[in-house]
Amino acid sequence: MAIRWPLVVRRTHKWLALVVGVQALLWTLTGFYMVAVHIDIIHGDHLVQSPVARPFDLGGVVAPSEVVAAVPGVSEIRLQRLLGRPVWRAETPDGPRLFDAATAAPLPALTEAQIREAARHIYTGDGRIVSARLLTRAPQEMQSRKPPYWQVEFEGWNRPTLYLSPATGELISRRHALWRVFDFAWMLHIMDYDERTDVNNPLLRVATWSAFAMALTGAWLLIWSFPRRKRKKA
Amino acid sequence: MKKLRLSPLLFRRIHKWVGLILGLQFLLWALSGSVMALLDKDKVGGHGGGMSHSHPLPGGAYASLAALPRGEPVTGVVLRDLGARPVYEVHSAKGTRLVDATTGEDIRVDQDMARDVAAMMNEAPVRKISVIARPNLESRDFEGAMWRIDFADAENSSAYVSLDTARFLVMRGDTWRTWDFFWMLHNMDYLNRKSFNHPLIILVGFGALWLSGTGFYLLFKSFGRADFRWLRRRRPVAVRRMT
Repeated sequence: MAIRWPLVVRRTHKWLALVVGVQALLWTLTGFYMVAVHIDIIHGDHLVQSPVARPFDLGGVVAPSEVVAAVPGVSEIRLQRLLGRPVWRAETPDGPRLFDAATAAPLPALTEAQIREAARHIYTGDGRIVSARLLTRAPQEMQSRKPPYWQVEFEGWNRPTLYLSPATGELISRRHALWRVFDFAWMLHIMDYDERTDVNNPLLRVATWSAFAMALTGAWLLIWSFPRRKRKKA
Repeated sequence: MKKLRLSPLLFRRIHKWVGLILGLQFLLWALSGSVMALLDKDKVGGHGGGMSHSHPLPGGAYASLAALPRGEPVTGVVLRDLGARPVYEVHSAKGTRLVDATTGEDIRVDQDMARDVAAMMNEAPVRKISVIARPNLESRDFEGAMWRIDFADAENSSAYVSLDTARFLVMRGDTWRTWDFFWMLHNMDYLNRKSFNHPLIILVGFGALWLSGTGFYLLFKSFGRADFRWLRRRRPVAVRRMT
């Protein structure tokens, strides 16, 4: 018996679509969101001031050897500013620590008032701070970063949230509504509903190859989908 | 011309025509997505992390900070370890300089230093070292001039080390190169392979919404009771056995 290819291909296309149709719809929807909203906006670049490089007066800065002597095991020290005042930031095995750049005195962890001030300094918007909390457990949106950190939330429709280091007051990350939607879209796109990071999960692999077969049979069907009109002579 | 009616036929036509015009890209999205899902993400690598091993800074005196500026205002100073010798990274509007933190002399990041830095990340023998004035496709996430160190390993790994700071930047291997080709097909940025927010992909993505939307709708029109007869046929058999 001759194989009726148009029928076989159409059936295959139909049944594959029944299996992955919902996911194909989700792929195009989430994909469209991710391409339509620029990644710089998603990253929240517009929420924070870009750091201004201001010169240091190196004559008034204590020798780095004093900081190195104060924290054994320090692997890197860096001259930076905390609320406008020069500080040495030491990278230690237990995380970063700050030292006064003029006296080499160790600086205690920032107070809530200092964190609020630093957050307002970094934030570009006008909104008030709604809450400032010191977190010891990572929320879903900060899963890749190790706590503790301060979570400072500003008012606004997009719920802008800055995460700051308790030891140094530095900006660790920023989140807002569009980022959260993107993260959810990404979860649906890669079909990893737990961690939202595993792009090699078996479900995704089966679904993607099924979608490929669906697309291939769909392309095949195009051959028979545009019949040439036979014009009859009048 | 006939009036358009919201009928299954109309949706079938949209599906057909959008399929004809954008079908190839849809096929490429499915293919590149499939390949990227298949390639082991740990072998692809290159997504942050993997900073070079750093030794603790030695105690004792360091070269004077006051001598660091060479006429230009210094906007940042970093004291770090570079292969068991401490160095200053001096930032200014002109760029970044590397200074030996013990002697105060300027350091040029030469071939041997680049090789040492790269060797900390890969034990394979080095095949070739070259310098590139600006980032290539593989090191596009970074800036400035850099050393490229090619290794003789199974992955044909290449390490990139900054020419200004001697910092290890990134390691790329053949798995990443394969991945990157398919990522290019996926994001349709055929020149820089970086952006997925350009007008072309937004346009085609919008079109693909119609393809998947009409296709999803047509699912409900394409399946009849007859299609599921094979499910029902089995049931009476089972029932008979039970009675």
